[in-house]
Amino acid sequence: MEMIQFIDLNLTSAILLVLIGFIGGMVSGFIGSGGAFVLTPAMMALGAPGIVAVASNICHKFPKALVGATKRHKYGQVDIKLGLIMGVFAELGILYGKHVMTGIKRDFGAVGTDLYVSTVFVVVLAIVGGFVFRDYLKLRSQPHSDEHKVPKLAQWVHSIHIPGTMMYFNCAKANISLLFIAPLGFATGLLASSIAVGGFIGVPAMIYILGVPAIMASATELVIAFVMGLGGTIFYGLEGVVDVRLSMLILFGSLFGIQLGAIGTTYVKDYQVKLTMAVIMITVLFSRVFYIPGYLVKLQIIAPLPASTLNTLKLIGDGVLALALILGAATVLISLFKGMAEHRKQHETLTEAVGIAE
Amino acid sequence: MVETDKSWSKTIFWGALVGLLYWALFHNVNTILHFAHTTGHACVVNQGGELVYFAEPTVDACAAKNGTMVQGNWLHVFIPILIAFAVSYVHGAFTSSFWDSIGFKAAPKKNKGN
Repeated sequence: MEMIQFIDLNLTSAILLVLIGFIGGMVSGFIGSGGAFVLTPAMMALGAPGIVAVASNICHKFPKALVGATKRHKYGQVDIKLGLIMGVFAELGILYGKHVMTGIKRDFGAVGTDLYVSTVFVVVLAIVGGFVFRDYLKLRSQPHSDEHKVPKLAQWVHSIHIPGTMMYFNCAKANISLLFIAPLGFATGLLASSIAVGGFIGVPAMIYILGVPAIMASATELVIAFVMGLGGTIFYGLEGVVDVRLSMLILFGSLFGIQLGAIGTTYVKDYQVKLTMAVIMITVLFSRVFYIPGYLVKLQIIAPLPASTLNTLKLIGDGVLALALILGAATVLISLFKGMAEHRKQHETLTEAVGIAE
Repeated sequence: MVETDKSWSKTIFWGALVGLLYWALFHNVNTILHFAHTTGHACVVNQGGELVYFAEPTVDACAAKNGTMVQGNWLHVFIPILIAFAVSYVHGAFTSSFWDSIGFKAAPKKNKGN
């Protein structure tokens, strides 16, 4: 018999959650799918156990994903067939990931899930952040590389024919074996149930392995996120770890932020978005690193450290996370205000020129 | 001017609905959390006026804590799902209208030259 821990909410923590949701939403809207990666660590920093933070984050995300998928379907960017098929396999990944997480909770307690979530975060953010930074450098040096080229790996995947498993996908304009799609969907779900962000695997996998254009990959990911989120909320809900207060407070701020972030993208260049993404990812990664010694001490994996050292480490972790949030918010807002001011100036110059000509 | 008034009326309408939804949620938060904790069987213990929930309880362990066994119901998992859908729809309409009303709009022509 174990206690189900939800954090005590007061006005300050509620306002902080709304603010965190706002910034997380803004980053999400600005960099596209996967932006919710700041939310899980932030909820954990406020005291929510890893499993509750992941479950509540998943719960706030899936209706947003549905709204986003519906909007982008109207622009012809969504491949529903691929989204649903990957979603089904992702659901299996979610189920397995939840099984791992509840197993850790049962054997090591809530702090075990804290360590698990933090470790996965550090590893995944290091890999994805590194790739995004490389993309930024590439985009900056090759300013006109907009056209879609099917990557070599994807060309190989398209050339493989395994009888009885082939299916045609419009977005890739190719027949692809389900045997390639199944592990990618599974891995996406597994990651989503571990850190609440599956897009880190789903989107690059669709682009580099299946040969889907980037814009369609991020839109199709919304279908997967909806399917996974709905399933994840049910699976975690059955464990009694979805804290709907956290989900709805985050959602309150997030919906304000996501629209502002999306407006912001229309005023900036692609490589600026990539740079923002890489910087925030790497900053969040460092914030998690500082919490890990505390978890290791609690689990008696390492020798006890003085309380003052642990407090200092936690304080540094909180500070670095706050820095990541401020950086994210500042980048989006500065881009937005600068872009709007430039646009207004151009508009005024044009109006004046027309006036003089008349 | 008429357009601006229309846009603000829409914002106020959706904003009022959002306020109502969040009021209903936090007004009934204890009941909603009780449902969240009882998707499976649970043991409820009153610790100094505060209810604490224990998952996967046994009758003996629950009795040892002076707790009450509560029968779980898996259908409770749909409560957060319904709340999330309702809030997302209403609040999404509000925020979109809000930013529009105060003048934050997307660039008319995409400015992304790479």
